[in-house]
Amino acid sequence: MSDAKQIMAQKSAKIAAGAVVCVESEIRGDVTIGARTVVHPKARIIAEAGPIIIGEGNLIEEQALIINSYPENIMPDTEGMEPKTMTIGTNNVFEVGCVSQALKIGDNNVIESKSDLGRNVILTSGCIIGACCQVNTCEVVPENTVVYGSNCIRRVQSEKPQSQTLQLDFLMKILPNYHHLKKTVKGNNTPVRN
Amino acid sequence: MASLLQPDRVVYLVRGEKRIRAPLSQLYFCRYCSELRSLECVSHEVDSHYCPSCLENMPSAEAKLKKNRCANCFDCPCCMHTLSTRATNIPAPLPDDPTKTAMKKAYYLACGFCRWTSRDVGMADKSVASGGWQEPENPSTQRINKLIEYYQQLAHREKQDRDRKKLARRRQCMPLAFSEKYGLGTRLQRQRSGAPISSLSGLSLKEGEDQKEITIEPAQALDEVEPLPEDCYTRPISLPEVTTLRQRLLQPDFQPAGASQLHPRHKHLLMKRSLRCRKCEHNLSKPEFNPTSIKFKIQLVAVSYIPEVRIMSIPNLRNMKESQVLLTLTNPVENITHVTLAPCEDEDPDDINSTAKVMVPSKELVLAGKDAAAEYDELAEPQDFQDDPDVVAFRKSNKIGFFIRVIPQKDEDADVTVSFKIRHDFRNLAAPVRPSEEGADTAAVAAEAIWLTHHVELRLGPLAP
Repeated sequence: MSDAKQIMAQKSAKIAAGAVVCVESEIRGDVTIGARTVVHPKARIIAEAGPIIIGEGNLIEEQALIINSYPENIMPDTEGMEPKTMTIGTNNVFEVGCVSQALKIGDNNVIESKSDLGRNVILTSGCIIGACCQVNTCEVVPENTVVYGSNCIRRVQSEKPQSQTLQLDFLMKILPNYHHLKKTVKGNNTPVRN
Repeated sequence: MASLLQPDRVVYLVRGEKRIRAPLSQLYFCRYCSELRSLECVSHEVDSHYCPSCLENMPSAEAKLKKNRCANCFDCPCCMHTLSTRATNIPAPLPDDPTKTAMKKAYYLACGFCRWTSRDVGMADKSVASGGWQEPENPSTQRINKLIEYYQQLAHREKQDRDRKKLARRRQCMPLAFSEKYGLGTRLQRQRSGAPISSLSGLSLKEGEDQKEITIEPAQALDEVEPLPEDCYTRPISLPEVTTLRQRLLQPDFQPAGASQLHPRHKHLLMKRSLRCRKCEHNLSKPEFNPTSIKFKIQLVAVSYIPEVRIMSIPNLRNMKESQVLLTLTNPVENITHVTLAPCEDEDPDDINSTAKVMVPSKELVLAGKDAAAEYDELAEPQDFQDDPDVVAFRKSNKIGFFIRVIPQKDEDADVTVSFKIRHDFRNLAAPVRPSEEGADTAAVAAEAIWLTHHVELRLGPLAP
C-alpha cells in the first residue's frame, strides 16, 4: 500500500511554461500550475491529501494558502482513503491572506483578502467572496454571486468581475526583476479540467 | 491586562440635572462654573455641514435647500457604501462620420464593497464624470409642495391672530389718562384705527403679498385597490430580487420592493456641533470650521483639568478578604496638585453601586506638574517628595501609583465595584484675577486655588473562582 502511494505522490511541482512562480513560495506535494499564472512569494500551495491542479491566468498573492488537506476527523494513514484532486480553473484571483480548501473552483472568481473557504464549497464562475467572509457550508455557490459584509450576506451581480489581464502582464514583467523563479517542469500529460 | 484600561472601568459622577456616571474621557469641564459636564447637560448647536466623502463645506441655508444631501457623492442603495465613478472605453460612432467608430469614455457608478453597479438598475452610462447622475423624481412632489405652502400660510395667519390678540389685551389695560399724559397715546390712538401696529409692520408687508389664498383639494379616499397579481401565491420567490427592509426604508419616497428599482441617492451630510454649558452659556467645545481639520478652537475637556484615576493591577479578589489594588493618578495640569482621597460616608446618596469596602490612603498625595520638556532636560534634578512606600508604589513625572485596600462584601457573580471621593486643588486660570491691593504687577499674583471634590467609581472585575 505504501509503495503504491509513493508512486502516486510526486515530490516536485509541475509548472507550465509561461507561469511565474517565485522561489519564496512554498509548494508541497503534487501541484500542477498552468501557463500565465503568477504565484507571489510567501504564497503556500500544499497538496497533502491529494493533488492540486491550477489552471491558467490565475493570480495567487502573498500569504494565500491553498491547501488540499485531510478532513478533520480522518487520520492521514487511514486505509481506503482516495486522494481527491483539487481543481482550480482559469483567471481566478486569490488575494492576500486568503485560505482556500474548496475542492472545485471555476473561472473568473475573486477570493478577497483573509476570506476562508471550506472543503465542501464548490465555486462556479464569477463569484466574489468578500474580505474576511467565511464560507464553510456544503453547497454549490451559483454563478456571479457576491458574498460580502460581516454577516456574509449575498447578492447576485449582473456581470462577472473584470479580468486581471493588465495586472498579470505587469507582474510577469516585474517579478522576475526582483525574485528568482522556480524552474518550469513540463508535465507528462495535460491535466484534465472538469 | 489591556482590559483594565477600558474607559468604562473608572467612572466619574456628574451632578447635573440628571446624575450621570461616565468615564472622564467623555466628560467636559466648565471652568467658569468649575463643574464637570456630560453630553446630556450641555446644549448642542450645529456649527456647519459637510459631506463625509468629498469633505465639502456647505452653509446651513444651502444644506436646507438640498435636503441635507451632497450634490456630488452617491450612496450605494445596496450596502450604503460610497459609490465611486469608473470609466470604460466603448466604441461609439463619431458624430461626423457614422461609419467610423472611435473609443469614447463612458462612466458608470460602482460600489467597491458589494460590487453593485449603476448598470444593474438600467441606468445608462454617462459621458461626463460627475454631474450627469440624476435622482428619480418623486411623483407626489407637486402635491407635497402645495400642501406645505398651504400649511405654512395657515400657521402664519394663526400667529398673526395670536399676536394681535395679545396686544389688544394690553391696550385695554392702559388707562386713557395715562396715554394722554405722555403723548405716546396719540400715536397709539392713531394706529388704533384698524391698521396693524408698527411692531407688526414687518408682517403686514408679507400679508399684502400673500393675499392670494392657497386652497388645496382634500385627499380623496379610493374604494378600489390594485389587485394582487394572480400568481402571487404560486410564483417562486427569487431572493436576490427582493430588497431588504433597510434598503427599502432608506428611500421612503419609493420603497421599492424589487432590487432592479433601487436607485442610488445622494449622500447625507454630516454636521459639526459645538457644545455650550447650560448654566453659564460659555462654549465648552467649538470645532474648527474646516471639515478637514480635527482640531478645536475651544476644547474644555475634563481630561485636561481633572486628575485621572486608572486601574493598574488587580490581585485575586476573594469575598471578605482584604486585597491590595494598585491604581495610578495622573496630573494633567502644569502645576503641582495636591490630592486627598476619602471613602464614601455610610449614608451617601451617590454611593449606590459599590459592593466592597475600600480603605484609601489618608495622607495627601502630591502630584508633580506635567512638564513636556522633562524628558529632554537631562540636568533637571528629580523633585524629592517624601513618599511613604506603603502608600505610593512608584512615581514617574506627573503620575503616581498608589495602593488601596479592598474587601469585597458580596459573594455574587457581578463585578466588584468600589467608590470613593477624590478632592484636589484647581487653579482657575480663566477667571479674572482680582487686582491686589498694593496695585502690584498682576503677573506675580497666582490664581486662587479652589478645592473640587469628585465621586469616582471603579469596576474591579469578578471575584476569583
